[in-house]
Amino acid sequence: MTFLQLNDIRKNFGEVSVIKGVSFSAERGEFVVFVGPSGCGKSTLLRMIAGLEDVSGGAMSIDGKDVTYEEPAKREVSMVFQSYALYPHMSVFENMAFGLRMAKLPEAEIKSRVLEAARILQIEPLLERKPRALSGGQRQRVAIGRSIVRNPKIFLFDEPLSNLDADLRTQMRVEIAKLHRNLGATMVYVTHDQVEAMTLADRIVVLRGGLVEQIGTPTELYDRPANTFVGGFIGSPKMNFISATVEQADGARLVLNHAAFVGGHLQLPFAGAAALKPGDKVTVGLRPEHLSLDAENPVLSLSLDISENLGGATQLYTTGAGEAVTLLVAGRPPLKPGDKLRVGINADHIYLFDAQGLALRA
Amino acid sequence: MADMTAKPNRGYRRWTPFWFLAPAVATLLLIGIYPTLFALITSFRRYNIARPREGFDFIGFDNYASVLTDSTFWASLGTTARFYVSVLPIQVMLGLAIALLLHKTGMGFLKALARVTLVVPLATTYAVVGLIGRLIFNRDFGVANQILNAIGVGGFDWLGSPRGAFTAIAIMDIWQWTPFCALIFLAGLSMVPGEIEEAARLETTSKWALLRYVQLPYLLPGLTALLILRSADVLKLFDMVFVMTRGGPGAATDLVSIYIQRVGFRIFDLGTASAQAILLLVLTILISRLYIRILYREVQ
Repeated sequence: MTFLQLNDIRKNFGEVSVIKGVSFSAERGEFVVFVGPSGCGKSTLLRMIAGLEDVSGGAMSIDGKDVTYEEPAKREVSMVFQSYALYPHMSVFENMAFGLRMAKLPEAEIKSRVLEAARILQIEPLLERKPRALSGGQRQRVAIGRSIVRNPKIFLFDEPLSNLDADLRTQMRVEIAKLHRNLGATMVYVTHDQVEAMTLADRIVVLRGGLVEQIGTPTELYDRPANTFVGGFIGSPKMNFISATVEQADGARLVLNHAAFVGGHLQLPFAGAAALKPGDKVTVGLRPEHLSLDAENPVLSLSLDISENLGGATQLYTTGAGEAVTLLVAGRPPLKPGDKLRVGINADHIYLFDAQGLALRA
Repeated sequence: MADMTAKPNRGYRRWTPFWFLAPAVATLLLIGIYPTLFALITSFRRYNIARPREGFDFIGFDNYASVLTDSTFWASLGTTARFYVSVLPIQVMLGLAIALLLHKTGMGFLKALARVTLVVPLATTYAVVGLIGRLIFNRDFGVANQILNAIGVGGFDWLGSPRGAFTAIAIMDIWQWTPFCALIFLAGLSMVPGEIEEAARLETTSKWALLRYVQLPYLLPGLTALLILRSADVLKLFDMVFVMTRGGPGAATDLVSIYIQRVGFRIFDLGTASAQAILLLVLTILISRLYIRILYREVQ
């Protein structure tokens, strides 16, 4: 059943419309990630779920109860902030206990809940310390602990890892995933980092300019991006785009025209070809990791600009007829700048988008 | 031949800092330190300029002894203390209330206007506040009595009755200093990081809990400064009260500073007045230390 429901949620700051009608729902126990570039409204949306921002339009319910205009504390949600937002004058124990004290729980209950959370997060030795005596990672644990003890209906995370260094970020990411598995709680997580989104989410909501671009599992977003934006945003390195022209479209076969293609043409089986006619503009999406150097039927003829040795893999930056194309290949191919490459790809891995950037489906 | 080892002249010499500091230090010496030292020395001498024939001898702690056994001094100190405990709680509470209202979101323009308005009483000279007070509390045409008449309570002689005069100077002091409290508290409230306030709002709906447990720790340094400033200020409060009541009627508004002024410049017994002033200085320092010890906590 639907646990968190957003219905055409809107938010205006004065004249500026930041959220332009977002609808989506999450099941109990689901891990939902809002992802998008800066300014897409993902944090605002999260803060609206928390009740920290007023809703300008639409409705919202949690566990079947309308909370559109409910006070934050009555929504039974907890939030982990980017800056951790620990109370600086309280000890770690008091930080975690504060919400419970406000809820007037018996002291013994408070103690057992805090100690349990501290045990889960391995911060028991820190309970008497003040936040200023903690490292960034420890503060983040305390902030998460403060959420756990309240046993909220929904955990909200607002870019919780962006203040941590790379190592710690990976480690905390794994811990949050574990925490989700162990608690089975509903979590909504905001990030601009698509790796965090891919690894943590049951479902990702991709936002841009206050609108939902696509909602789906990480695999769906990767395999079937709804448009060029999602295609480019999910996946690292970014998907390559080549603007081509339809030369022939008949039945289940498509012939595309672009100087970067070997022989200037690309012929591929495409069940949706009937919708296209010669002269139509299409965008061809190719993921760097799907391109290969030693293909039997090369489709692209490229010239190498520069290669980056990543150790186990090599990232190749190439151009073909003015289009920049990035490749991610295994090992360390013996190439030097200026080399001509003939690059292949499995036809299943070719993404097609129409002139408006929307995915063409077979 | 050019000296290649010479440093480029940046207009900076050994004495440059001295010249920059000199005017401030000289002013401080002249109007702060010299008078204080003069008062300190005078407090140990017989120094009645109306009776020069008695001489200006050093008399040890005689002046202090006579001050400490002077019942009028103690009475005026008591009046001052009564004044302090009457006005300060009201100023703090009212100031906090105003600050909390101004700290709320929304109505940006009105709030900006209110903040500017708050500065007006602060920028008003004490003597002018006293003059305004005399007009407001005038028995015949003052606005205070006009209002009392309008609501049917009937006016009365504010400045002519002991209780009325004391109330009148207290009201004027509250008018002048509540805005200061409000501004200090507002600064304290805006020190609370937004996310910490939001974290608390997710945990409690109680505005009181938010104030007590989250905002108050950020207000304490400001409150300490406020109490120290106000203590020093009330102990030397003179102009406004002098203009409004001259300490009267009777001794109803005879604050310690007014009494000292009378001893120093009506009786011209500068030795005793200096001893009183020095005692007041010591008292101010003691009170300040006490506030710092009890109240002052840095949040971070």
